[in-house]
Amino acid sequence: MKLAPQSVPYRALQKVSGFVVIAFFVANSNDWGLPAAAAAGGAILLAALAYEVAYYRRFAYELTADTLDISSGVISRREREIPYRRIQNVDVSQSVFQRALGIAAVDLETAGGSSTEGSIRFVKPDEATRLRREVQRRKSGSSAGETDGTAGDDEAADRGAVGPEEEELFAISPGELALVGALSFDGRLIGLLAFLSSGSVPVLSGFIPEASAAALTATAIVAVGGLFLVSWVLGAGVAFSNYYGFRLSRAGDELRYERGLFRRYSGSIPTEKVQTLTISDNPAKRALGYASLSIETAGYAPGQSGDGGSQAAVPIATTDRVYRLAHEVESFGAPTFSRPPKRIRWRYVFRYAIAVAVLVGIAFAIDWYVTPDLPWYGPAVLLLAVPPAAHLKWKHRGYWLGDDHLLTRNGFWSRTVTVVPYYRIQTVIDSRTIFQRRWDVATIVADTAGSSSLAGTSAAAVDFELDEAIELRETLQERLQSALTSHRDRRDRFEWFEGDVDELVESDPDADAAEATDAADTTEIEGAADTAEIPDAEGVSDARGTATSDATETATSDADGTDTEATGIPDATDAEDVEESPDVPDDGVIRPDFSTSDRDYSEPAERIDTGEYAVDRFPSDADVAHRGDEPREESDDEPTVDDGSTADDETDGGSAESDDTTPADGETADGEK
Amino acid sequence: MTAQTLHPRIRVVWVLRAVLVAAVLSLPFAGAYYLGRLPMWAPAVAGGVFLAVGVVHAVLKYRRWSYEIREDALYLDRGVVTQVRTTVPLVRIQHVDSRRGPVERGAGLASCVVYTAGSRGADVRIPGLTPDGASDLREELKRLAIRADGEDAV
Repeated sequence: MKLAPQSVPYRALQKVSGFVVIAFFVANSNDWGLPAAAAAGGAILLAALAYEVAYYRRFAYELTADTLDISSGVISRREREIPYRRIQNVDVSQSVFQRALGIAAVDLETAGGSSTEGSIRFVKPDEATRLRREVQRRKSGSSAGETDGTAGDDEAADRGAVGPEEEELFAISPGELALVGALSFDGRLIGLLAFLSSGSVPVLSGFIPEASAAALTATAIVAVGGLFLVSWVLGAGVAFSNYYGFRLSRAGDELRYERGLFRRYSGSIPTEKVQTLTISDNPAKRALGYASLSIETAGYAPGQSGDGGSQAAVPIATTDRVYRLAHEVESFGAPTFSRPPKRIRWRYVFRYAIAVAVLVGIAFAIDWYVTPDLPWYGPAVLLLAVPPAAHLKWKHRGYWLGDDHLLTRNGFWSRTVTVVPYYRIQTVIDSRTIFQRRWDVATIVADTAGSSSLAGTSAAAVDFELDEAIELRETLQERLQSALTSHRDRRDRFEWFEGDVDELVESDPDADAAEATDAADTTEIEGAADTAEIPDAEGVSDARGTATSDATETATSDADGTDTEATGIPDATDAEDVEESPDVPDDGVIRPDFSTSDRDYSEPAERIDTGEYAVDRFPSDADVAHRGDEPREESDDEPTVDDGSTADDETDGGSAESDDTTPADGETADGEK
Repeated sequence: MTAQTLHPRIRVVWVLRAVLVAAVLSLPFAGAYYLGRLPMWAPAVAGGVFLAVGVVHAVLKYRRWSYEIREDALYLDRGVVTQVRTTVPLVRIQHVDSRRGPVERGAGLASCVVYTAGSRGADVRIPGLTPDGASDLREELKRLAIRADGEDAV
């Protein structure tokens, strides 16, 4: 597929637009400036046009069965294939000019990389919509309908033609839009002016006329007031044009948004790619009962999401509506936050007092340097605000562990609630600054692959008691593992055959032996591993017996399975048990434990998928099975090796995992010593 | 695996770095002395203080640093001023590098960098390993990450 032909002149003009400014100065410089500028401008425009024509001719994209292929580049050529599964979100944007020309920019984001992975500039709006739909269709097709083949494709094609029905989640009302504008404040102008003036205070001071301090102060107040007003109007304008016509809807398994007055943005975010939700408000919004919601994916590189932050951010809605929307995306129940210890308020009091002291110091320095008799001790009034601020800061901090989500809350001015599904946690970081150590508190950060951590919205439980923090850290880690296990169970429901054969049989004698020696001790797997060490050889020599006993075992192991299922999955502290225990379904077949699967990925799956194991699941053979045909007698030696390794494992951390681990462990340990 | 400490020689690398930092930080003092704004002892004292702080920091950092591969995660414990304990679930490991910078090569050391898809602390560096140790650790982590067999989180 090609780009829209209109993109050639547009891109060319876009390229040379920077030159216009220079040309303007050149044209005004002297007599022959105008023709020179015109000639140079023409030449550059021609060159740009030629380049863009070449770009247009080179640029091609294609939707293949499971990748989006883009080949581009004039001088250095690039072929890029983006698997549909990896695409995080698809964004379409159209500025005013682009709308007039009938073109749209399509950006496809994947999780990696520092910039937009698939940038298609520009195509016709219809084509942009088609691309978005196709990507979604093919993505769901490639993940779900792999085996469906053509039938699934046809069905999906039908669906794509019509599009899955859209269910509107949120559409901004004019009142809300006005509110967004009113509550937006663009601080950038102030920042810019502060930056510009910071270096020029000594210079300016020379221009300050001999006037009374009162007049000077009045002018300053008026100037600052005006500045704030301008900033506010600017912010309102930007917010208004950004969020004009905001609409968020759900279509099948993705969220769609569109917004924008001058530049139209639209796009889709697959719900399975949602990393975190952020619900934020500030005092004004709180007073009016409003809040805003943003949906983070891993798509945007830090700082790339541009103005307005996350693309699919509900700018404003009543608080309960925001929570309902959030529940639509991630159902996290009703949170009850636990707060840091009360004594930590003193820490904030000190912190804010120091900040005020610094302000006073700066004011004094300015006063001393510039020498108008300003009341430099003015900022000290802020000390009055310190205790309530500290209290609010403490009050707004908190975390809550839900069934599937971690919620954290922070910020005393603008309060932010971050919702992180356990499943999305990447790393858990426990940090204690030197000051926190004095208070015996710690901060736990649950890092996700979200985009805006630079803005500090990653979920952090700040200033909690040490033991509570450690417990939180451990809990998060455990819950991540159990969330992974349950996800894996869901994923593997139909393809559990691909698992490792020896893994299964290895866990088999353990469980059997455990049951033989201690029938009552069914759920306690660590105990099982312990007891398995002694009767292991017996279990192996009795291999045939195990196979036959499997059938009789069904009843007990069934109970075992349901037991761990019941205790293990909802209660995350038993995560290890879930991982270690063979998951015994109703049909009585013990399935392999995927959490510790050491399937050899260099081998094709078909080799394992022969179904051979359903017949041949003697423990003694199992170790041999993936190494080729070794004689049966070897099997007597195998368990002793196993025993050693399990024993090693035990000392390591109570894990009765695969036998491959420990020898390698030993090697590394040796290598390092 | 019990908690592992770094190779003692990493202190040499860190102390060298502290020397460099101290030198850079005391440059302004030296400049001020050159321009006659400060007495002669100022740059020396500043350099000395920076160096002492740097060396103490390096030694404490070495004492503090430990890492451990547990059943399902890599644990790191480090940091002098801010103590940081990072838990990297093995499932989340994206890729692992072992690398040797010029200074590390000089000291006969290597380091191992573990990447996750996370946004903060997306790469975790374990310094102060022997070259063999680093590649062993890399292989071990790779193997464990494959075994942990995570579904994509992103």
